[in-house]
Amino acid sequence: MEQHGPEPQPHAPPPSLWPVGFAVGVAVLLTGVVVGWLVAAIGATIALVFGFLWVRDVTGRAPHAGKPPPPVGARAATEAGHALPLADEGEIERFPRSRFLEGATLGLGGLIGGLITVPVAGLAIVPTFVGQKHEDVDVGPLEAFPENEWQVVTFMEDPSEGEVSRRTAFVRSNGELQGQPSLTILSNRCAHLGCPVQAAGPLDEAQKETVETSNTVVTRIPANPAAFACPCHGGAYDTEGNVTAGPPVRALDRYAYEIRNGRVFLTGAYSVGKVEGEGKDAVITKYDLMNPGLHVDGPSSLLYPIGPPR
Amino acid sequence: MSVQRRNPQGPPGSAKHFPGKKSPRVLQREAQFKQYKADVQARGKPFYPWAMFHDTVMSLVVVIVIIGLACVWYFTSGENPEDAGWLGPRYAEPADPGTTTFVPRPDWYFYFLFYLLRIFKWPDSVILGTVGIPTLLMIILFALPFLDVRRERRIIRRPVAATALVLTAVSMGVLTYKGAAAEEATAAGEETFDQIMAAQNLPEEARPGLELYFQSGCTGCHTYAGEGSSNLGAPDLTAIGSQQGKDAAYFQRYVANPREFGNEVMPVYQTLGEENLQALAEFLEASKGGG
Amino acid sequence: MAVPVRTKSRRRQQVEQAALYPLDWLEERSGLVGATKYFLFRKVPGDISWGHTLGSATLTAFLVQTITGVILAMYYRPDPDSAYESIQHLTNEVTLGWLVRGMHRWGASVFIILMFFHMARVFLFGAYKYPRELNWIVGALLLILGMFEGFTGYLLPWDQTAYWATIVGVNLQGTGPFVGPFLVNVLNGGAEIGVDTLARFYAIHMLLLPGAIFALIGLHLWLVIRLGVTSQPWSPEAAGAGEPEGPKPAREGLVRQSRGGGSE
Repeated sequence: MEQHGPEPQPHAPPPSLWPVGFAVGVAVLLTGVVVGWLVAAIGATIALVFGFLWVRDVTGRAPHAGKPPPPVGARAATEAGHALPLADEGEIERFPRSRFLEGATLGLGGLIGGLITVPVAGLAIVPTFVGQKHEDVDVGPLEAFPENEWQVVTFMEDPSEGEVSRRTAFVRSNGELQGQPSLTILSNRCAHLGCPVQAAGPLDEAQKETVETSNTVVTRIPANPAAFACPCHGGAYDTEGNVTAGPPVRALDRYAYEIRNGRVFLTGAYSVGKVEGEGKDAVITKYDLMNPGLHVDGPSSLLYPIGPPR
Repeated sequence: MSVQRRNPQGPPGSAKHFPGKKSPRVLQREAQFKQYKADVQARGKPFYPWAMFHDTVMSLVVVIVIIGLACVWYFTSGENPEDAGWLGPRYAEPADPGTTTFVPRPDWYFYFLFYLLRIFKWPDSVILGTVGIPTLLMIILFALPFLDVRRERRIIRRPVAATALVLTAVSMGVLTYKGAAAEEATAAGEETFDQIMAAQNLPEEARPGLELYFQSGCTGCHTYAGEGSSNLGAPDLTAIGSQQGKDAAYFQRYVANPREFGNEVMPVYQTLGEENLQALAEFLEASKGGG
Repeated sequence: MAVPVRTKSRRRQQVEQAALYPLDWLEERSGLVGATKYFLFRKVPGDISWGHTLGSATLTAFLVQTITGVILAMYYRPDPDSAYESIQHLTNEVTLGWLVRGMHRWGASVFIILMFFHMARVFLFGAYKYPRELNWIVGALLLILGMFEGFTGYLLPWDQTAYWATIVGVNLQGTGPFVGPFLVNVLNGGAEIGVDTLARFYAIHMLLLPGAIFALIGLHLWLVIRLGVTSQPWSPEAAGAGEPEGPKPAREGLVRQSRGGGSE
């Protein structure tokens, strides 16, 4: 006979997964012994099926049994006399697996990256925009705010957050407008960069009250401010919150309020462009609440077309 | 995407990878860099121990300075936020989001930005001071190697760079200093009042006015006896009473309505009431800077 | 004439071999020993000055910050209700707590000052020019990140100074056109500074920024090693000085071209 190839070895079955399947079946069967008969039955089925396939393979009744395994590319080429070769062009076209693998690697890698990054980045960013509404804050009975007298009032803007949400407002009752009580409630956060604005006038510390209302702890100090002044960069406001001097870009923000059962509830803050008139006759140009330093009107307001939901 | 099994342009990093003709400038600077490398090989000294010795000495100085500062800071201050030592208190009062008396200040290395904000005090110019100028400067900082493409490195022959360096250093220094010196309009307590009464030789009748002065936000714009801050061009009031023609009546009218005197910036204090205005006026009249 | 060499005694040779063996083992498997030797014994220009020490001084300051910061993290509680107390406790009661906290707090200032000085020295020496442009950009980025570290760290004691300086700082960034208000939300952890802000700033200060800074410092040092340290430009024996060979640029004229008269 001419050349043999390598001596035919006692037939080694091609690599197969049947033993693995059989092992899985046995494992599930054993688990089922503990967990329940259904699981055991499933395990037994799997083990039987894979076991049959395995046995069939081993005993040579499978279609391709008996042939030696096809030569791997390197071996074939070596036998043909080349050095460790590169895949030739023809093979690449016939077996575009490389391209598939490249695409799959990049694609799957991108998918993994996305699966990790999107939730993480989402957690860092999205919760800061949703759920920002506060519940209404009870700052006391209407009688606690005598007419035409200012009070410096502190309260928790979001009682569930605790002291960190304490805010200060300058509150004055203006009497009644068309049968409804009228209050001027100015926020003390300067409209320039958020420094705490001070009342330009004496505070009556001796009359300070600390009271617990239905949902927060409120302190009230009577005051007699002629104006409001911010010590950071010299911003000054009049008693309606309009800017009279300095860098603030708009009037002081105000709190909206409702009277429920004779108690004053703050229902949210809003930004103000300008206030015309005084006290209960004041005409307030109202805007959605904006951060300090942002113009609400005028050409500069075009720089901030949309704000985050408040 | 085809798989490239061979790279016809040569290994990456070689000139063949990015084919094209190089300009004489590029060739020259490459040659110069090569010369530099050769010079260093020929005449250079090993990093260890020559350069590393200097680095170690300097690092030691740095660590000693840091420890020294920490020690001075701790041993000259007390547990109470009011016991500030030579280098400030150990901590301020606990954060109070509802405060009406605190004056915010950033850390010292932001003072130049802080003072920039005091310079841009017209509402429409605020954005220049907050983001406009700092952003512009940052862009120049990053783009510097592409703005200055001359290869000259001696500072004598780089007039623009030298000027820019001096200007930047001086202006940052001045802005930082002014930010640091920008006085704070803090609330004053009894001790401050006592001190001022004594230091300024004020009569007892001036005391109510003095206390009112500090409560009415005047310190937000005026300085007085070293207290308060200076904003919007408001004058120092320590010796205001010694100025010609300014008596209690004058001050009362002025503070009640500065508009009458052409002052469009100061708030109108009419609503403080006669009694308060009178007390303030007496205090201002008595303030003759007598120290 | 050969220089006489003291032959080492056999014993000494044995000791040296024993000492070197682990290093050889490591070197064969990782190449680290060789890399360290390269770093230590590489040549640098012979005329470098004390000004060149500012870079490593900055690194030292940053390492001080890192080490003290890690220890402080064992005592600090990043919650608005207990942060202040934890700082008080650490400063007043914990043994040497005052020292570590003081080093961290003043180390921050020293770090920033040194960064500026280092930047000024590099600018003065023109060491941002070819081929070190990338290194300058990395350095500028480090400056910005370092200052942001200072800003986020300033909030952590949660005292009046911290709270209000942060409010102003965040609002300042909020005035940026278009994205400003959104940036405020992301920094604050909500519409306003609240319960989430402190933890957010803490995570940025402890994890995000130090990670980025370490990576960039690594890149910065790699570039310094690869590209070499510059000589003082005015030194008579500056490396790279003198006219190199090669074609001269075509442009002559009124503007005096620096044809590489300065050193490299």
